[in-house]
Amino acid sequence: MALDRKIAYIDLTTGEVEVKPIPLDVRRKFLGGRGLDAYLLLNHSKKGCDPLGSANPLIVSGGILTATCASATARTHIMAKSPLTGLLGSANMGGFFAPEMAWAGFHHLVIKGKAKKPVYLFIKNGTIEIRDAQNVWGKTTTDTQWAIQEDLNDREIKSLVIGPAGENLVAFANVMTGIKNAGGRTGMGAVMGSKNLKAIACRGTMDIKIAHPVEALEYNKRFIDQITSAKVNKTQGTLGTPMIWGATNSWGGVRTRNFQYNQCEYADDIEPEAIDEICEDTMGPYHMAGCFGCQVHCRAQYRIPSGPLKGKYDEGPEYTSQGAFGGEPDTPRAETVLVGNHLVDQYGMDNLEVGSLISWAMELYEKGIITSKDTDGLDLRFGNDEALLEMVERICYRKGKVADALAQGGIPASKIFGKNSFEYLIQVKGMSNLHSDERATPGLALNIATASRGSDHLRSRPAIDLYHLPEKVLHKIYGSPVPYKGKLSSEHTEYVGKAWQVFWQENCYMGVDCLGICKYHTTFLGATLPNFEDWPKVLYYNTGLEYTPEELWDISERCNMIERLFNIREGLTRDDLEKGDMLNHRYFDEPCRRGAPDVVGMMIDKKKFVKMIDEFYEHKGLDKDGNPKPETLKRLGIENEPSHML
Amino acid sequence: MAIDDKQLSGAESLRKTRTYGKFRCHNPTCMGRLEPKPGDKHVKCPVCTCEFRVAWIRPDFPRIRGPVWEVNKKIAEAAFKKKMEGK
Repeated sequence: MALDRKIAYIDLTTGEVEVKPIPLDVRRKFLGGRGLDAYLLLNHSKKGCDPLGSANPLIVSGGILTATCASATARTHIMAKSPLTGLLGSANMGGFFAPEMAWAGFHHLVIKGKAKKPVYLFIKNGTIEIRDAQNVWGKTTTDTQWAIQEDLNDREIKSLVIGPAGENLVAFANVMTGIKNAGGRTGMGAVMGSKNLKAIACRGTMDIKIAHPVEALEYNKRFIDQITSAKVNKTQGTLGTPMIWGATNSWGGVRTRNFQYNQCEYADDIEPEAIDEICEDTMGPYHMAGCFGCQVHCRAQYRIPSGPLKGKYDEGPEYTSQGAFGGEPDTPRAETVLVGNHLVDQYGMDNLEVGSLISWAMELYEKGIITSKDTDGLDLRFGNDEALLEMVERICYRKGKVADALAQGGIPASKIFGKNSFEYLIQVKGMSNLHSDERATPGLALNIATASRGSDHLRSRPAIDLYHLPEKVLHKIYGSPVPYKGKLSSEHTEYVGKAWQVFWQENCYMGVDCLGICKYHTTFLGATLPNFEDWPKVLYYNTGLEYTPEELWDISERCNMIERLFNIREGLTRDDLEKGDMLNHRYFDEPCRRGAPDVVGMMIDKKKFVKMIDEFYEHKGLDKDGNPKPETLKRLGIENEPSHML
Repeated sequence: MAIDDKQLSGAESLRKTRTYGKFRCHNPTCMGRLEPKPGDKHVKCPVCTCEFRVAWIRPDFPRIRGPVWEVNKKIAEAAFKKKMEGK
């Protein structure tokens, strides 16, 4: 039974391991995955704890549906206080790790303390062993996974690992599983590194009983058809997320030269069709790979076609790497994107943060705020492919003044660089933005300003806003399971109704993160994909738990509020440019210069934007300062947090 | 028991609105429906005159690969100039 999967508390300082069941009343309130992780983080951390200190708990989980008959329940979630933002740290990745952990008996791990020397955890069928990792310390992410399989003489082992960046406490080091599945954001790899924890390896052969197996399989056919028939997923299964690049760049939604332009001109070389042409066997229906239980298969594979790393294998690149190593630094060349993607995968660093911060440094270099003296002679100008890739390595190994500053994250680096460097930093809550440009999309701008883990597109983005859907269709989507009587607009350049859409998406994404399902299987990039009305069926048939769509909405809202409580405890205030729900001034002051004729000249209207935040807070039950009202906490049943139920 | 799997969910019911063979212009307030002929590599919006390069996922499933730079760039520059003059 999925519900008999356990939670393990592991103390790396003492070596003690305690295993507990997850009570049903906790499941009822928080389901699992990210939602339950947020509850655990709030309950097991103390205000102001050092993100890289031994008291910061690192929490790893699968969702409540992980490894059941449900489709695409591959997601692994990892959470802790972030060394990048000082607020909520949270990252989510595909692959095969979480299902293996569930088969090994566990849904959640709470890892505390710090090992005296490098170790890794080996979890197998209900047992947890702390093993020496000195022979893998220093290795890249892929080599680490292979070395652990050899060490344990089992090729079926799935590992969650850090690379050299995590060991070097780079504030945006990620955790990886497989070749490229990355828990990329907020520096969870640095938290692992700070604990001397190189990896978590899993092997499981314990059955998961399905509550209603016949119905679960039957319904899953329908669920899969709903997912695979979506046009967006047919495109994903052919080109992967790079399919987004050409479309977004064509209307002017791609940040270029840090934030100077909103379109990377003549970037044809990094369009997916071009990458497919220069790399053999990379995209198309016969070459795309997939995660556990997924039928979409959005992961391209490639070998670097030329240059010093010619022949090296990797997966992707994702849309994010096209921006990080193509658009933002204005180096739109396929080889640069493919090499940059490969380097961050091997070093274990967040591609978004790396690309954004280097592009920011390039703008500072252009403006003379940092000079070649600071870069040890490196010509850090926009468009310099070699300098870009050199900086990736320097950041990982913290070589030189500029790279070492960037490795600490944007806000600490701005304090080192001084002058007006902070004004050019495109971040929210200390985390860099995706390479997208939201000046023409107020709904998306609200999303990145208010997302719980910092500037982020995967927490509340109303991405279908870009499709110009008829208002009737929008009301059908956004009017359920909770009725919405307000106005909604088909125009993505408008402000009307966007606060509700962001609120709805925030709950939708929390829902899939609790279930353990991929976001490509919900209302993220496609309007016809499953959401609250579909999930009760898949939950009931697989786990036996009965929920209404409204109850699942309530759970999502509750879990999001727990994340908000954590952030407020750690210093979030509404207008704080470092820790608040506010955008860089450039969104309000600098108009878009490129893109579609309707997009040029656009920027965010600050008055309307502030009003949108007011509306968003109202939908969430927050006061004007962004703090939860007492009646909201009571309605959500979390007025006594931390409640220490688990 | 709240589970009723006979009825279509809201998301499922929207499947009937799906169309193949066409896409929308990327200019936000234009968003005209463009329908390239099978195999076409370019398409021009009859409303706002923007031009796009077209790629094909399947013979009946086109997508916008990117803009025709030399055309759309000129349109954008003219639009930007006009808007800035008006400020």
